[in-house]
Amino acid sequence: MRQLRKLAVAVLLSFLAAVASTGHGKASDTSLEATISALASAKLKDRGNHIEALAATGDAQVVPFLEALAAGDVYFKKSDKTVFITRKAEGGLQLLDPLSLEEGEVVGSRSLKKVKVNNKLRRLVRGAVAGLTVQSHDAGTRLEAANALYKSQDLEALPLLKAAVAAETDETVKDAQERAIAAITLKNVKASEAERLEALGKFKAQGDQEALALVSSFLPQAKTAAESEAAALAIQSIEKSLAMWDAVENVWYGLSLGSVLLLAAIGLAITFGVMGVINMAHGEMVMLGAYTTFVVQEVIRKSFPGFFEFSLLFALPLAFLVAGGVGLAMERGIIRFLYGRPLETLLATWGVSLILQQAVRTIFGPTNKEVGNPDWMSGAFEIGGLALTANRLWILVFALVVFVVLLMVLKRTHFGLQMRAVTQNRRMAASMGIRTPWVDARTFALGSGIAGMAGVALSQISNVSPNLGQTYIIDSFMVVVFGGVGNLWGTLVGAMTLGVANKFLEPYAGAVLAKILVLVFIILFIQKKPRGLFALKGRAVDL
Amino acid sequence: MISRYLFQALDKRAFWVAVALMVFAVLVPLLNLVVPDGHPLHVPDYLVGLLGKYLCYAMLALALDLVWGYCGILSLGHGAFFALGGYAMGMYLMRQIGDRGVYANPVLPDFMVFLNWEKLPWFWYGFDQFWFAMVMVVVVPAVLAFVLGWLAFRSRVTGVYLSIITQAMTYALLLAFFRNDMGFGGNNGLTDFKDILGFSLQSSGTRAVLFALSALALAGTLVLCSLIVRSKLGKVMIAVRDAESRTRFLGYRVEHVKLFAFVLSAMIAGLAGALYVPQVGIINPGEFAPANSIDVVIWTAVGGRGTLIGPIIGAFLVSGGKSYFTAAFPDLWLFALGGLFVIVTLFMPKGVIGLLGQLKGLASKMPRKNADKPLPAKPEAAE
Amino acid sequence: MSLKERKPLLYLDGVSVSFDGFKAINNLSMVIEKGEMRAIIGPNGAGKTTMMDIITGKTRPDEGSVFFEGDTDLTKHDEAAIANLGIGRKFQKPTVFESHTVMDNLVLSMKGKRGVFSALFHQEDAQERNSIADILEIIRLEHRKDALAADLSHGQKQWLEIGMLLAQDPKLLLVDEPVAGMTDAETVETAKLLREISRNHSVIVVEHDMSFIRDLDVKVTCLAEGAVLSEGSLAHVAADPKVIESYLGR
Repeated sequence: MRQLRKLAVAVLLSFLAAVASTGHGKASDTSLEATISALASAKLKDRGNHIEALAATGDAQVVPFLEALAAGDVYFKKSDKTVFITRKAEGGLQLLDPLSLEEGEVVGSRSLKKVKVNNKLRRLVRGAVAGLTVQSHDAGTRLEAANALYKSQDLEALPLLKAAVAAETDETVKDAQERAIAAITLKNVKASEAERLEALGKFKAQGDQEALALVSSFLPQAKTAAESEAAALAIQSIEKSLAMWDAVENVWYGLSLGSVLLLAAIGLAITFGVMGVINMAHGEMVMLGAYTTFVVQEVIRKSFPGFFEFSLLFALPLAFLVAGGVGLAMERGIIRFLYGRPLETLLATWGVSLILQQAVRTIFGPTNKEVGNPDWMSGAFEIGGLALTANRLWILVFALVVFVVLLMVLKRTHFGLQMRAVTQNRRMAASMGIRTPWVDARTFALGSGIAGMAGVALSQISNVSPNLGQTYIIDSFMVVVFGGVGNLWGTLVGAMTLGVANKFLEPYAGAVLAKILVLVFIILFIQKKPRGLFALKGRAVDL
Repeated sequence: MISRYLFQALDKRAFWVAVALMVFAVLVPLLNLVVPDGHPLHVPDYLVGLLGKYLCYAMLALALDLVWGYCGILSLGHGAFFALGGYAMGMYLMRQIGDRGVYANPVLPDFMVFLNWEKLPWFWYGFDQFWFAMVMVVVVPAVLAFVLGWLAFRSRVTGVYLSIITQAMTYALLLAFFRNDMGFGGNNGLTDFKDILGFSLQSSGTRAVLFALSALALAGTLVLCSLIVRSKLGKVMIAVRDAESRTRFLGYRVEHVKLFAFVLSAMIAGLAGALYVPQVGIINPGEFAPANSIDVVIWTAVGGRGTLIGPIIGAFLVSGGKSYFTAAFPDLWLFALGGLFVIVTLFMPKGVIGLLGQLKGLASKMPRKNADKPLPAKPEAAE
Repeated sequence: MSLKERKPLLYLDGVSVSFDGFKAINNLSMVIEKGEMRAIIGPNGAGKTTMMDIITGKTRPDEGSVFFEGDTDLTKHDEAAIANLGIGRKFQKPTVFESHTVMDNLVLSMKGKRGVFSALFHQEDAQERNSIADILEIIRLEHRKDALAADLSHGQKQWLEIGMLLAQDPKLLLVDEPVAGMTDAETVETAKLLREISRNHSVIVVEHDMSFIRDLDVKVTCLAEGAVLSEGSLAHVAADPKVIESYLGR
């Protein structure tokens, strides 16, 4: 690896030497200084020529000067017209040599006069800087330079770029340089038809919004029929690919929202769907999970700062225990007296939700709490025209994992078997020796615990406040009811459908109206299929 | 003559409560306006406003009791009907401001001028007429209740499903009314009212009249509801509540019965909202918040559902408690309210009215142990 | 003359219904004549209750039609409409309105307009009072007319429900296990009562109690696996080897 890099540097150096010997020739420092002082004393409208002259030297030494010029940091002494780059310092301005950057004296600003530039000159400077840095040793600088040229489309830089691209080894930089060349080629009246067609092909392949803008602005300037045809084709193809990525993006955002809904609703699918208990405090279980995450992070920050990356892994089981414990207490203390009276359960659990909210508000205060993202949760990466953020991706994965695990628990474990037995025929299960009250309690605790784990995930993307649960409770009920009560698959499909539908509506209707439309849709849907998307059928249901 | 008829047709308790409300309607304004300030019997202005507010709440609770207590429909969206009635009244009051607003536009309310609207949206037409606004106060909630009820009851959406739907309805309306584009003042709602039918809303005379009207309206709706629940239709409603499908097999159109109760209830709620708004001076989307509607349920439950007068008592007790707690111990109020939900459902399924009955039973038959046990679970919509 | 033209009271024609693949009723056909009382027997799961559900509109059949009085297809109507056509039903588990008095249960059942507003403005008249008094006498609950239905004994609830059927005065009564949970004496009384009723009404009785069926002394249909297994007099059906095989046992 290191050898490779050495090789690259060597190649680049030799290349630079070649450029220096064949091209413009490396100007001596004295001639550079002369150009700089000429620039300073020239009139505003003539300064452009001097900037171009500096750029034409191809000497990267002038880059700091040019950048300072664009930033308005170049002054000359009123007394002897020597030019300096300046930096703010105590008692006036710190003078720096424009080429060597050696620090000089600090002088009051009265004795200096600013070398003024306007926007036109600034553009010129940027192009010049990019042209000069396009062959820098540092790949990052080169990339920046190529991107800057792509934007400024400076014709002068074309030969430099072409030379640079031939020597480039870094794929990303090379790609950027080629893009810049293509962009300049489209602007270049002297370019041949073949070159332009190649450039058009490049943008067609690139297929993003910028490419569309470039090709669209080129279209009226096309010289030959082949060019305009290629441009039109490119536009068509780019628009198609943009629309495709747009749809993909909507689906992704929809799935991401769906995974959040799934997380919020999946515990409810157990307590409401399987047990038939309307738990209005379900959202507060989610909230407790989020606050558990907050507490865990606080403890880690204070006592074990090195473990911050693992804070969520510690928080998950703890949140399960905290929310599950509260759920267990609720079931034993209140809900078990209300089985068979769903409306009363609804009211009592609403009462519990108020108490939990106020308790959290009293302990932690009413304001939002900061829950940090570990490094692996932040950042983003791109697939084609789609930007995926890590936290959304992890949450989607987490939601699916929770779903699958829960499905397995219900289908494969003894506890799951007991749970299904109790929900299907309580009396029969009891007579088979199953302690139905404990199955109820554990089922409820399971549903609540899962809500707590959901809270850990949601703490990564939403505000952690005492009202956190309230934001999710209605949505969760909608998901469970829409998907069909008593059916985990229904909850999955319901959550994803509602998520995607919401995101597809948003561009047309706006976020709030989209949400309203989805709510109205569900209200109407329940009229049509009162038992949800995946309803259980048969005689037993009617009883 | 009429009073004797009513005395026979009504539940005795409902009759006396209605009479008491009418006395209240005269007495409180008198004590406020005629008895001089400083006299021990003087009722201060703020108390008139507060009690007037409670009367509107009581009317809302009464409306809920008609559907929940007698038809078994637990609506978690009655606050929406209340708010719609309130908005209809608010729109009239907005139009009454005329050019006295900040922007002095004779037609457009301030918030529309602020949003650079050129002309009044069509749905604001007519609200400068008092009679039209009053018709809308009941018609708008009735239409919403009719559409929702017709769809839901026809497809036999019952129990918690219906509750969740009604909650979703009020939530959707909450979101909708928050939008500026809706044309109802968005976040801030409608406020800065000046006068009603030419009487200043700031004068204590107008406020006393509004109070009296609220008390009379509550008495009137109580009488109306009592007549209904004691008619054969009331018996059908209870039959629907207890055994919906059995009622159907007797040939009753359950969905029509429910729809009647739901629509009537929504209209009463709308009227309550309309009386509420001029007394508190503002209506905003917050009134649609699902939590508000659930509060109405707790008023009804605390007082005793299916009793008509229980919800009135409950509304006064709980709202009074809220006013006291939020002033004295603001942090404790939600604990108290939450605890109330739990305690009432667990130990007082028939509310205060039921508790009084139980105490009476205890007093007369001391040794009977069963009296203080929670009542047996009601068979929830037998199907 | 086809069956449909002859206009029997009830004609089930090739009715099938299945729940999740399980055929509860399988191509069932049956005719009930006007004024007839019919007893239906059959093992558990034979589809007796489902058949009643289909006739009263609670369940819609997948196939087939049910004609009432010749030309009304009951499968196109809902429960309330069918009840108003003149079909009354007594459930297996007595279902009366528990928070109403015995009297109010009967008032609610009285034949008459069922609309919301006619119920709202309903005034009790002498004729209605008399009919209710008559029914109370028949079902022997005069002394408990102001008691809440919830406080009645099991047998009394069964009788109250029969009383409600009488108040409805339907053309066809569907009676599901009327004597379940009754004492022997009550059973005999109930048989007597049903025979009494069958003089001016058509009746379908579903029952397991063979001595009760014997007391009724009417045509018997034996259902099994959702279809008619055997039909005729009790003696004929009881002697049918298929019935012995699947229901009565050897």
